[in-house]
Amino acid sequence: MSRDASLESAPQKSLNGAVGMAVFLGACAMLFAALLFAYAVVRAQASAWPPPGTPPFPRGAAAANGVLLIAAGFALRRARARGPAWAAFALGLSALFLLMQALLWGRLVAEHLGPGTGALGDAFFALSTFHALHVLGGIVAMVILLRSRARSDARPRRLRLATIYMDFVAAVWVVIYVAVCLL
Amino acid sequence: MKRIFSTDHKVIGRQFLFLGLTFLAVGGVMAMLIRWQLARPGQPVPIVGRLLFSGAGGVISPAAYTSLFTMHGTIMIFFAVTPILIGGFGNFCVPLLIGARDMAFPRLNMLSFWTMAAATATLTSSFFVPLGTAQAGWTAYATLSTAIGAPGAGQTLWTVAIYLNGVSTVMGAVNYITTVVRLRAPGMTWFRLPLTVWGFFLTSILNALFVPVIAAAMVLLFFDRVFGTQFFIAGTTMRAGGDPILYQHMFWLFGHPEVYILILPAWGIVSDLLAFFARKPAFGYRVTVWALIGVVILSCVVYGHHMFTTGMSPLLGESFMLLTMIISVPTSLLFLNWLGTLWRGALRMTTPMLFCVGLVFTFGIGGLTGLYLADIVADQYLHDTYFVVGHFHLIMAAALLMASFAAVYFWFPKMFGRMMSERLGKLHFWPTFLALNVVFGGQLLIGWAGMQRRLYDPSAYDFLKHLLPWNQWISRAAYVLGLAQLVFVWNFFVSLRRGKPAPANPWEVGTLEWTLPSPPPHHNFDTIPTVVRGPHELGSPDARARGKDWLGQDEVLS
Amino acid sequence: MRLGIPRDVSLDGHLVDGVLGYLTLCTGIAFAVLVVILTVTLLFHRARAGRQANYTHGDGLRARLLTFGVGLTLFVAIDVTLAVRASHHLRERFWNYPDDDPNALRVEVTARQWAWTFRTAGPDGRFGTPDDVVTLGELHVPVGRPIYLKLRSKDVVHSFYLPTFRTKIDAIPGSTTRLWFQAQETGRSEIGCAQHCGVSHYKMRGWLYAAPEDEYRAWLARAEIDSRLRYDPNDVVAQQEGWDW
Repeated sequence: MSRDASLESAPQKSLNGAVGMAVFLGACAMLFAALLFAYAVVRAQASAWPPPGTPPFPRGAAAANGVLLIAAGFALRRARARGPAWAAFALGLSALFLLMQALLWGRLVAEHLGPGTGALGDAFFALSTFHALHVLGGIVAMVILLRSRARSDARPRRLRLATIYMDFVAAVWVVIYVAVCLL
Repeated sequence: MKRIFSTDHKVIGRQFLFLGLTFLAVGGVMAMLIRWQLARPGQPVPIVGRLLFSGAGGVISPAAYTSLFTMHGTIMIFFAVTPILIGGFGNFCVPLLIGARDMAFPRLNMLSFWTMAAATATLTSSFFVPLGTAQAGWTAYATLSTAIGAPGAGQTLWTVAIYLNGVSTVMGAVNYITTVVRLRAPGMTWFRLPLTVWGFFLTSILNALFVPVIAAAMVLLFFDRVFGTQFFIAGTTMRAGGDPILYQHMFWLFGHPEVYILILPAWGIVSDLLAFFARKPAFGYRVTVWALIGVVILSCVVYGHHMFTTGMSPLLGESFMLLTMIISVPTSLLFLNWLGTLWRGALRMTTPMLFCVGLVFTFGIGGLTGLYLADIVADQYLHDTYFVVGHFHLIMAAALLMASFAAVYFWFPKMFGRMMSERLGKLHFWPTFLALNVVFGGQLLIGWAGMQRRLYDPSAYDFLKHLLPWNQWISRAAYVLGLAQLVFVWNFFVSLRRGKPAPANPWEVGTLEWTLPSPPPHHNFDTIPTVVRGPHELGSPDARARGKDWLGQDEVLS
Repeated sequence: MRLGIPRDVSLDGHLVDGVLGYLTLCTGIAFAVLVVILTVTLLFHRARAGRQANYTHGDGLRARLLTFGVGLTLFVAIDVTLAVRASHHLRERFWNYPDDDPNALRVEVTARQWAWTFRTAGPDGRFGTPDDVVTLGELHVPVGRPIYLKLRSKDVVHSFYLPTFRTKIDAIPGSTTRLWFQAQETGRSEIGCAQHCGVSHYKMRGWLYAAPEDEYRAWLARAEIDSRLRYDPNDVVAQQEGWDW
């Protein structure tokens, strides 16, 4: 039984990818857990939350953006059965999410909720910008790995991994949203 | 271009090794400069002083000094030891030792090296910005590391460099874990793995879990510095909410596992090499594996011993003290097993073996001195003195240096196809070993006398003035240490060109890499071997029946 | 070349020295045993013509009992006794702050880059009044009474270090830490900073002056006159340094 990384069968490579993705997502989860831990400490030590003088947070806009990301996850899932057009659609939705986040950040800065204006703004910016970087990284990776010239036998495997990643990124957004905007 | 961006783990391993050795030299030169200042405060540095400190007439200024010790620590930990041991030997050895053709994700491996290179470039660039490099120590405590204590781009670049270094490390961890879990050759069960592989595997688990924590700390520090957030900032003029101690918690949550991340490969390598050169199996292999796992688990919950003087709650403090003491149990089991391996062996005192025994010695002292610091009452006095510096240099610098050298001397034949000179190796070992003990043992003593860390000029304190002769002796030993490394550099590069061609198995040991030519072909194994025994079957009756004292892991007995 | 721990002038420093001494005894014995074992193996267990290594995996019951036995003995003899002893000292002495002791002298310490300032309440016993005595770099204390410090930092993390009292505590911006000790001898002791705090960290020193009670009171009376003269009720920044006891 050969264990050459390049001569392995598809199911074996699939399991390699799954193990690797599991470790990677574990590491990412630790990153966001640490950021959330810092947010929890800052919040616990604040005498009042939100800190006095904090303008109201546009929860609706932030929620709408989250919906985009969740939709992207579903679209990517559909791509397995329905073809690459859905993958492109998912990438488009993710890119749109990033655009809407950028607009949201601009709005927050204008409304005195940007970084440096208060603990709530600080927390939301740190968490959401880092989350956005992970979405961006995912988009770049998917464009490279799922492009039409890439190896076609690798595509189903990579699509599965990409789906797991998108689900993870969407789940992190939900956690951030709940922790910062709702609680 | 294909070679530069090679995805062959052996090439990538060599790339990491050369990067790490280069920065080991840079960090070492910085140490020499620090020792110069401590031995001759305020005097111009000879030869290189005019070049490096031209603005001050060759004298190291207080600001330059803070740069030096900050960058010395940062470089040694993140840009020397990590690339040499984990990136270098981890990459080169793991696939060979488990009987695989390459890592599970060769392209990710290549990316991990180039990310490390980008991190190195970022850190190097900080030398050339106005106001210079980071100066808050490698620990970069807030608020000294925020805009309050450290204006200037250097500290910001430092956070980016550490972050990128972390990304490279996590990429590596993904690769190593997947490779060891999935690509072991048939018959290579978990308890037939060389302990070297266990070391790299367990290190990668800690890396995957805890490097992201310092990455998060760097993110927040970056935000505090660049975007005006206040996660770590507090004080009389600031709005409420930020907490400098939050930084310390996040930093040490990573920082303590980090010291185990660095030492686990060394422990693994030494455990194997002691067996190989004692010509008998590693004593208590299973207990060693469980002890390593125990250290990994406990390493997550002891970090508070770096923060005993921050005024934490008594319950928290005592818990950390107790847990820190408990971690000495698996460590001592590991150590006792080393002694058991040596006992009644037939020791071949080759250069790699000398360095391994040297590690046993320095790790013995260094580990014992950890007990002083684990005890809160003793730590009240010893915290932030040179006792701490001596302690961690003994178990980090001395032990890791010796493990790295042991690894180089041991695997050089396999990596480069040539033998290094044994004579020069011994000439390298003795001054290195003796000097390491004088330098860091000496630091234990001046710490005992109360000298604090990170002092530009100890004689500013009356109670430390009498320590100048001691600092001078430590510095002299440090210069000897530095000069002794030139023997290694000479040996390394001359052997690359003119060393004796290496046979496949010059050390006569049974792990799988020695079944291949030196150096191995690109695809490693023509046929993937089938493993039938453990890695340390030396001196067994079966071997002796065949007129030798070792058996290969894949050697089928007819 | 005199080397050695500075002379202990405090009430409880000897407890630290006792722990340090016990540690040195235990680790010294362990280290000596290690050296003996290494010497024996390196001298007598070398490869020689006709010598065969002892083929054992060390995983039999006897070997494991030996390893675990030694490991656990070391743990109990050294770690457990140390932990118990340390906990006892901490709870009985070092962490037993004199909150309810009317005899304790309370001092507010402010650390900044790169100096220490100290404030005592003055004869009226209240902080934030004109008779508070503020000193720069000098901490005057009476011998034989508990000295209770509360510390803050104005900028970065510093650490208040008294080597001759075997103690230190960090001063952290945004929070308050505390320390107590007692001087047993008259004389002066150097105060150091034990946390890297910037380019002049090495110069951030002060002096603790311990005097008999009557001499201390005489000094306090003189210093209080001086402080009263310099007190400025409009100096908001200076007043801000006080906090609740």
